[in-house]
Amino acid sequence: MEPVVRLDRVSHRFGGRDAVAAVSDLDLDVARGRFTTLLGPSGCGKTTTLRMIAGFLRPTSGRILLEGADATSTPPEKRNIGMVFQSYALFPHMTITDNVAFGLRTRRLPGDEVRRRAGEALELVGLSHAAGRKPGELSGGQQQRVALARAVAIRPSVLLLDEPLSNLDARLRVQMRRELLRVQRETGLTAVLVTHDQEEALELSDTMVILNAGRLEQQGDPREVFPRPANRFVAEFLGYDNFPVLPGAGPVTIRPEHVRLLPARAAEGADEAGLDGTVTAVTFQGSHCLVEVDTPAGGDATLRSVHPGDGLRPGDSVRVALPRRHLVALADAAAPAGADR
Amino acid sequence: MILRRPLLSLLTAIAFVLMLGPVAILIGVAFTAGSTLAFPPEGLSLRWFAAALEYRPFIDAFGTSVLVALVSTALALALGVPATLALQRGRIPGRRVVENLFFTPIIVPELVLGLALFQQVMVGLQITALGTLVIGHTVLLLPYTVRVVGASLALADPRLEEAARGLGAGPVRTFLRVTLPVMAPGIASATILAFITSLNNVPLSLLLTGPGVATLPVEMLNYVQSSFDPVVAAVSVVLLVLSVAVAFATERLAGFTKVFGR
Ligand SMILES: Nc1ncnc2c1ncn2[C@@H]1O[C@H](COP(=O)(O)OP(=O)(O)OP(=O)(O)O)[C@@H](O)[C@H]1O
Ligand SMILES: [Mg+2]
Repeated sequence: MEPVVRLDRVSHRFGGRDAVAAVSDLDLDVARGRFTTLLGPSGCGKTTTLRMIAGFLRPTSGRILLEGADATSTPPEKRNIGMVFQSYALFPHMTITDNVAFGLRTRRLPGDEVRRRAGEALELVGLSHAAGRKPGELSGGQQQRVALARAVAIRPSVLLLDEPLSNLDARLRVQMRRELLRVQRETGLTAVLVTHDQEEALELSDTMVILNAGRLEQQGDPREVFPRPANRFVAEFLGYDNFPVLPGAGPVTIRPEHVRLLPARAAEGADEAGLDGTVTAVTFQGSHCLVEVDTPAGGDATLRSVHPGDGLRPGDSVRVALPRRHLVALADAAAPAGADR
Repeated sequence: MILRRPLLSLLTAIAFVLMLGPVAILIGVAFTAGSTLAFPPEGLSLRWFAAALEYRPFIDAFGTSVLVALVSTALALALGVPATLALQRGRIPGRRVVENLFFTPIIVPELVLGLALFQQVMVGLQITALGTLVIGHTVLLLPYTVRVVGASLALADPRLEEAARGLGAGPVRTFLRVTLPVMAPGIASATILAFITSLNNVPLSLLLTGPGVATLPVEMLNYVQSSFDPVVAAVSVVLLVLSVAVAFATERLAGFTKVFGR
């Protein structure tokens, strides 16, 4: 099936051709009816990418195709794209209904259809009762839902969401995440969401796209990406904290929750790699402890392990066991990422 | 409140007395039945208002003042609003410098500005005194309009216009339906501020008045140099009432306290 949005070697440089690229040679297909997330650390070019899709920024080079047609120089008002901004950007002087109806009125739809569709969109986000109020009278979460209703009401060919949940507190964020997914599934809209929260990306995505410094690092179904990070950057970003150097193996990584700590001089299993180490820190994390272990033989000196934590103190000697089936081979041994995180 | 913060309450009270005391005295003197600038007034009458109406220069000057204030406020808005828009929303190289240029008339003493205008425009280009007054006041008011309208724009989310464009509105519709309403409270405040500033200005007007053309404050200044009766107090009250009326009317018209419902 033809992608709704296709980026063809798109780059953007702020401040002319010789400036550093915010987005570099990005190729990206957004599949119809799917939820795509753009994930990456702050400053990696997520917002820039979204703004180019919406038409607020022109790519310095490359092409943008919407529904198969070149739209690189189409102005935003002709693109039929729904955008939800991080700051919501609700019109402060209009009622909630007028905000939601704005995009329908610009399309010169008849009055009764405008009212009906604005009403439906508000109902979809559960805010029919607030129709007559002004944005300033609503809570952050409610404003966020109005912004969503406003974008959905125009039945856009793609819904763009720029960190729509980052202004909400932790509980509301999880709740709104579910709500967002429900609205997307109910409407069948194609959605692209920008986030730097990997949990959000994992839960929402049909496809997740990981960006680093304006370049694509890896993309795919989160169920495939999460257990198989392609390189060190992606691994670090997804919380693979350990990069041990094992004799006779290339660069590998393993999640802290898969690292087992055994008493000193105990033997690891046959399907595990073992290293001697010394505990350097035990950090209480609620349901478990994060134990940091120095492993002089393990290259990257410190390994982190999730452990009940009882009885372990800094200075204790331990044996670190790394189950081989949880070791992920990496394509590279790139420099540590997240420098500008 | 008063009991919990006695010092603060006392200071507030003193500030109010210092600010409103002279105004109260002025109003009292204006309605006096006597013939000196004495307080408390010796009886009540409107005779000094009547006297002011009889005095031709005041009537002329009042007309000049209102005309200059209206025209220069309109001009300062006509120039200031687009300038603000360009500064806030456009991509102008050296934005800060341009912005600060708009600020210079506030920094340059009005007498210097007046002298320059007097020499270059009034004498040099042979523009009438009224024209020079309007130009001078426009220059005087421009920084206020740019700043005040700019503040209302700066407070608004710069993504509002993008949101409108994304929803299918072209640049014109976006301006009329989003940018302008968002700026409205700022424009209303700027109008009040500019009109009152022009109406009450003395230093600039003093230098730019020519034969037969003077603003009301300048004419009042001339008057008190020769005679010292309550007529000036009556005229001052008229100016005061006009200033308050303009502020009130603009506030009601634009309803700017209501625009942002937050
Ligand atoms: N208007 C601008 N002018 C100059 N540089 C910019 C501008 N906007 C963004 N940049 C730069 O482009 C790069 C990418 O910015 P972008 O806003 O796309 O990042 P992001 O991934 O959305 O980050 P965040 O998670 O912090 O929102 C950054 O290095 C940023 O400094
Ligand atoms: Mg961003």
